[in-house]
Amino acid sequence: MGLPDASGDLSSEMELDAFRRLFPLRYFERHLSESIRPDARPLGRARDTTLALGAVASAHGSALAKIGSTVSLSLSLSLSLSLSCAHANTMLAAIKMEVMTPSTESPDEGSIGSIDFHMPPICSPIVRPGRPAEAAPVISKQLSDTISRQVKSFLCYPFLLNSGMINLKELSLVSGKAAWMVYLDIYCLDADGALFDAALLSAVAALSHYTGRLILIHFAYTIEIYWAGFAFCLDVVFGSPVVGQFQIIRFKNSLWRYIPDNFHHVQIPIVSLNDDGKIELISEEDDGAKLEVEPVNKEKRKLTLSSIPFSLTCILHKNYILADPTAEEESIMETAVTVVLDSSSRLVSFYKPGGPVLAHTSAVQDCVALTRQRVKELQDILDETLSGMEID
Amino acid sequence: MASKGGAAPSTYTPTPTKKTRRSPFFSDSDVDWLRPDGRGFHQCRPAFFRTGAVNSAAGSAYAEFGNTKVIVSVFGPRESKKAMVYSDVGRLNCNVSYTTFANPARGLGSDNKEFSSMLHKALEGAIMLETFPKTTVDVFALVLESGGSDLPVVISCASLALADAGIMMYDLVAGVSVSCLGRNLIIDPILEEESFQDGSLMITCMPSRYEVTQLTITGEWSTAKLNEAMQLCLDACSKLDKIMRACLEEAASASQD
Amino acid sequence: MVGLSLGEKHFIQGGIEQNLRSDGRKRDTYRPISVETGVIPQANGSARIRIGATEVIASVKAELGRPNALQPDKGKVSIFVDCSPVAEPMFEGRGGEELSTELSVALQCCLLGGKSGAGAGIDLSSLIVAEGKICWDLYIDGLVISSDGNLLDALGAAIKAALSNTGIPRVQVAPGASGDEQPEVDISDEEFMQFDTSGVPVIVTLTKVGRHYIVDATSEEESQMSSAVSVSINRKGHICGLSKRGSAGLDPSVISDMISVARHISEQLINKLDSEISAAEADEDEM
Repeated sequence: MGLPDASGDLSSEMELDAFRRLFPLRYFERHLSESIRPDARPLGRARDTTLALGAVASAHGSALAKIGSTVSLSLSLSLSLSLSCAHANTMLAAIKMEVMTPSTESPDEGSIGSIDFHMPPICSPIVRPGRPAEAAPVISKQLSDTISRQVKSFLCYPFLLNSGMINLKELSLVSGKAAWMVYLDIYCLDADGALFDAALLSAVAALSHYTGRLILIHFAYTIEIYWAGFAFCLDVVFGSPVVGQFQIIRFKNSLWRYIPDNFHHVQIPIVSLNDDGKIELISEEDDGAKLEVEPVNKEKRKLTLSSIPFSLTCILHKNYILADPTAEEESIMETAVTVVLDSSSRLVSFYKPGGPVLAHTSAVQDCVALTRQRVKELQDILDETLSGMEID
Repeated sequence: MASKGGAAPSTYTPTPTKKTRRSPFFSDSDVDWLRPDGRGFHQCRPAFFRTGAVNSAAGSAYAEFGNTKVIVSVFGPRESKKAMVYSDVGRLNCNVSYTTFANPARGLGSDNKEFSSMLHKALEGAIMLETFPKTTVDVFALVLESGGSDLPVVISCASLALADAGIMMYDLVAGVSVSCLGRNLIIDPILEEESFQDGSLMITCMPSRYEVTQLTITGEWSTAKLNEAMQLCLDACSKLDKIMRACLEEAASASQD
Repeated sequence: MVGLSLGEKHFIQGGIEQNLRSDGRKRDTYRPISVETGVIPQANGSARIRIGATEVIASVKAELGRPNALQPDKGKVSIFVDCSPVAEPMFEGRGGEELSTELSVALQCCLLGGKSGAGAGIDLSSLIVAEGKICWDLYIDGLVISSDGNLLDALGAAIKAALSNTGIPRVQVAPGASGDEQPEVDISDEEFMQFDTSGVPVIVTLTKVGRHYIVDATSEEESQMSSAVSVSINRKGHICGLSKRGSAGLDPSVISDMISVARHISEQLINKLDSEISAAEADEDEM
């Protein structure tokens, strides 16, 4: 709690603490009048943000986002968590892929199964086991609105191909027969205000990181997925025998090799056509083996994310606008505005869930301007993290 | 396999199919098989601990053993949530839950009641409950990724989190498990090995006091093997204890700086 | 909960110290055990066990199901214990839930063996009807009717008795089904298979009070325990499971000692139970 004017002796600091607890609003207003916040940030500045990809090997893509880490990240073996710092907001997002049969309307598209935001009891003293936090379903809804709607917009307007965040066509495996379904789960590991911002950041980072390490094997009318030492079987009754059999679909699997190679960018298994016109997914497990068949979807193995949404939550209090509030600030000043912009600064969503302060248009514009600035920051952080992964 | 169909009606979700054959590694006769991660039979995975992972908790710790990744938060001592009768000793409340992506197959991320009660039993003997009468200490664990030997890792991590929260304890609690595969004993099994195990033994102990707080055995064991397994675990516990203490010392010296 | 005065506590502890317990037993003596089989006609097998004032019922139901994909050649067994509020007022509502879970977990750990199914008291491969397709699922339910300590041992014994009482209908699998189709089955009304229960272990719980450990503790004695170790042992003298209760830590050498004591006691208990079970079945047949 580095307070600029609290460099006095110990007794005054005690009084300050008491003052903060007894008159939190006055304490904050005192700061605001000096254009500074108790954690020494200017009003419009968001907390430092860090991202780490590939935290969870059992997921197909994962990201850890930390907003408010004042100490540099100390990397563990693969998941990084920083040492204790004043304010931190930690989110872990992970993607799981399952195989589905695409609908007849969109035979060559995968889909997004669900986007869930979880607040386990470890994240905050107010969450207890068995009683889900009130905020969790609200944020789940906001997240799926922000991420899925982007997808839907492209479904409804196929000509706007680039406006969707995820190109669902990239999730297709065999047209009309099999496609990926994406499940996105975001866990809050440490809650400290502006949960949505951190959750969205971790979600888009996990999607950018998506590591589809699935191995598919198809015998007759069954798709088997071998993954992480476990085998899963999927009965797919093929409508027409045209597709016939596709045989070995194997892919580099880090768990088998027990090397934490979570940083693979190549994500969708390669598919090829063999001599009989059958689809094969190609083995990449042993690097020495020569591929005799020509992959058909070599270019389609990454998820191309376009127009990535980023958000910033601001607190409105009187005439002040506080960007990226901490939990303490949120509990004292209730009116929050969340702006979601995409990477080219187009407005994706705007939330102002009530609150005692009514926002002037100028305030809204100020929030958008702050967000625009923040989007650039976040985009840089994401790019940097992704390029760091590629070097590995 | 707990996975839902989602919005589209025509979705298929993976269900476990038969493992075509039991890996030849595990046959009784062949003693010299290699473990999938290249470890020796009596070699533990490298352990990584860090305290202070969650700031909003009174104490917390993060543990990583191979692919097993666990966060434990400790809250309290605080007011007991359930209005209960007066008690002159403190209460310990434990909860272990999994993320939906912890296992290879997507799960529901529900609470694990069995592990919660085991965690409670393993820790209660080590905590000086009389130092916080009338109040509750909550120990919540979240398994981010399940890579085998989850429960012993949760228990070790929880005892570090308790220490980080400044809860008075007699000693740290270190937990280690061994799996019995055919004639062989392997320590600190990974998920794949656990799914083939013929028997398992888990010891949690207070290494400095050399006391076992919890012991569970499944499968059929002869006395000689049992003693061998217990000794293996106890030795590993005391090694683990050193790592855990080093982590606490590091955190303490970092906070002094 | 047992409310005891200081004097009563001392009396119990002192008695155990001097190898003369409040009810006149020695430290390693069981209360009288009585077994009754076939108490629930609808179940495939059932038994009631009384150990002193502790009374439990176990029932076995068999249903046809699909084997687990990871173990296509094995049937499935699940054990669930319910603590009736009749036994103790604190079991009412959700009060008994924790104890029920604990007992269920301990029984599963003691009777079902390792994950691969090795060391299970029940031969799981005898439950298979058609490999990978049909197997018997055994649902074992334990019900605590009256509780006066030593529930785990009583439940273990009841399950053993219920299993030996269990008859599973013989099943004919219609030939001709191929591929992924579920074959048709014909369940016999007359022919029943009996289980080989000789491998089913018994559970011996040693309760540590002071420096000594006792078998078959009553609730009053259990309230004075520092810890308790439940060991499940089969006829061969092999340990099939172990779980520990109670907060106090134990020295590893004490645990080893407890295990060897438990093994010694288990021999007598298995013989005692077997003779009681066969007597009970003889009684049932006569009726």
